[in-house]
Amino acid sequence: MKVSVSQQQLAHGLSMVSRAVSPRSTLPVLANVLVATDDGRLRLSATNLEMGITCWIGAQITEQGAITVPARTFSDLVNQLPNELVHLDLNASTHTLNVRCGMSNTDIKGIDAQEFPPMPVAAPQEGVPLNVANFKEMIQQVAFAASTDEARPILQGVLMTAADSEVTLAATDGFRISVRKAALSEPLPVPIQAVIPARALQELARIAADGEQVMTMSVPSGRGQVIFHMKDAELSSLLIEGNFPDYKAIIPRSFKTSTTMTTAAFLKACRQAEIIARDGNYVVRLNILPGETEPGKVEITAQSEETGFSENSVEAAIDGPGLVIAFNVRFLREVLEVIKTPSVVLQTNANNTPGMIKPAGDENYIHLIMPMHLG
Amino acid sequence: MHIDLDAFFCAVEELRRPYLKSKPFAVGGPPKGRGVVNSCSYAARSFGVHSAMPMKRALKICPQLIVVKPEPRVYQRASQKVFSVLADFTPLIEQISIDEAFLDLSDLPEDEFALARQIQERIWLETKLPCSIGVATNKLVAKIATDVGKAASKGSNYPRAITVIPPGQEAAFLADLPVRMLWGVGPKTAAVLKRHGIHTIGELANCPQCELVKLFGKMGYDLARHALGIDERPVVQERLVKSISQEVTFEEDIRDETYLRRTLRELVEKVAYRLRQEKLCCRTIRIKLRWPDFTTHLHQRTLPNPTDEESIIFQIAEELFSQLWQPGSAIRLLGVGVSSLSLPVYQLNLWQTESFREHQLLGAIDKLRERYGKSVIHRGLIIDKKHEGV
Repeated sequence: MKVSVSQQQLAHGLSMVSRAVSPRSTLPVLANVLVATDDGRLRLSATNLEMGITCWIGAQITEQGAITVPARTFSDLVNQLPNELVHLDLNASTHTLNVRCGMSNTDIKGIDAQEFPPMPVAAPQEGVPLNVANFKEMIQQVAFAASTDEARPILQGVLMTAADSEVTLAATDGFRISVRKAALSEPLPVPIQAVIPARALQELARIAADGEQVMTMSVPSGRGQVIFHMKDAELSSLLIEGNFPDYKAIIPRSFKTSTTMTTAAFLKACRQAEIIARDGNYVVRLNILPGETEPGKVEITAQSEETGFSENSVEAAIDGPGLVIAFNVRFLREVLEVIKTPSVVLQTNANNTPGMIKPAGDENYIHLIMPMHLG
Repeated sequence: MHIDLDAFFCAVEELRRPYLKSKPFAVGGPPKGRGVVNSCSYAARSFGVHSAMPMKRALKICPQLIVVKPEPRVYQRASQKVFSVLADFTPLIEQISIDEAFLDLSDLPEDEFALARQIQERIWLETKLPCSIGVATNKLVAKIATDVGKAASKGSNYPRAITVIPPGQEAAFLADLPVRMLWGVGPKTAAVLKRHGIHTIGELANCPQCELVKLFGKMGYDLARHALGIDERPVVQERLVKSISQEVTFEEDIRDETYLRRTLRELVEKVAYRLRQEKLCCRTIRIKLRWPDFTTHLHQRTLPNPTDEESIIFQIAEELFSQLWQPGSAIRLLGVGVSSLSLPVYQLNLWQTESFREHQLLGAIDKLRERYGKSVIHRGLIIDKKHEGV
């Protein structure tokens, strides 16, 4: 293999795939990144056997070939090189990759490309076309609500359902549920349902370039995999097996009180309360006070035995009776950070039943949070 | 004002069993095992018996000593009566133990001595329990006043002492007393002081503060101030519970694993019950093992989230136990404690979970216990042990 690529593009490509590298695996080749010529471009791939990322960059190819090299060594080196052309030259018999750029000349010992696990390949015609910017926003609004608890693998996933002309993402950690719907550009011939690891979706949101318009999602039947294909990159992931909890049954059909606030004001009050609340279980009390004659307000208080006490109030349009309800302020802050509309609605019934947060005037996103119990 | 019930357990027992009156007797564990004297009558004290003395020794120096089995629930009820009398005088009460309290009466216009006499009389009238009282401008001096008053009363009757230290007289009152009577001066501190020729509180007061700081670090400041009778701690109405613990000294050393684990469960059950009664959660769980040679091991772990769930506390306690205990080794004492206490704030679940069910179950159990007494219901595991014991 003899290839010349731009240092910047190579560094960018390596940073994209590096998140799929598994440095502490028992299989040494998984700590490596695959460097291969592929149909006139240079292909970089990494996988931890659960998730794989590939990206392609433009290159001048004078001789075909493939090798795997330790990801950390290779990307650390490339990051230090000057912004010039990088010449890669493989000595196939010794599995050594020579990296030359400017005055720098380095030999990196690699492992035969044959040992690299095959990456799943999708047939592009089967895929569901998704709007990149839209889908990234969906992931940002949903994936954070997934659990990080290794003991409950199914909750580490995001349930993706696509049928007719609609796709829905839903995630829950048992304390909160985030659900986001979006329209598809064309109706689906067959419905799809899959539980995708939240981590894979978060990586996808990171690598999907904003400039791109469309990506395709394929869930080849019977393989337990999902593949997202973009022009210069591809991410594949194993699906999580098991039954995703029936979140629809949990969502209350009606609410007694509906409180509308300015998203930015509510978020700011939560961020301030969190400074005190983080030392005391993250609990904040919301005192929802409907006004008789003047406008209503929501008082947000946090108390920590060690740190102190904080109180903030946010003006609100309140429809229904008042209520004092306690929430984990981190949960409130995380959902408010992904709500894009200027106003937000908090709907509640009682201090021991879930509260719902949604963007005002947007029916496509709902977020349910279970309150905290105060002794 | 400091108030201390005189030989409280014994006074209660005398009321229940008049034949004990004026006899040397002690409330405590049985002499055949490792029972110790919890409280002893003044008649017994004149023989040299004192509390915390092994019952075996007590019987040796006072063979006619009558041993009475303790009845904690009875004492608890008697104590409640006393405290309700105190509550008639002031809401500012700091309960230190079942038979001891501080009262802040500085707002009352009456003369201190008259007031103390009045309180003593009211308690006697309503409960027939004797008490001693110390009055001073602060907690430290008031407590020592009570102790001095009690010690001054010799003989086999209850002291019922009242000692008033007028404002300004604190340092003078303390001056001739031994340093051991100061709070925070234990045998080790006393030994260090003795080496420097300090025996009385007055000598301590004359010692330059910087010397004390050199000897004891931060504690030196407190010592210097206390020696002068200065103490600014207020009477705290609700003393914050900082930790809850339960321990048991076995009648004989135990090496049986099943028995030990059941005892552990029983201790955890008691600790968790108290935790719930106090409406608190804990983060740190500690176990204590004492080996037959009296070396003691403590092991503790802190959880990321506070809990009041018995099953979680037990699971941690058991893990800690397994880390410390080698199968087959004998244990003299086993204890479980919890600390880092906080209000029971916890995240509710969207779906009914194990922890939710446990809260419901424990809530129901606690209600049963409140109604029918603590022994009405136990874990199956613990009942097993009780049967074996029969």
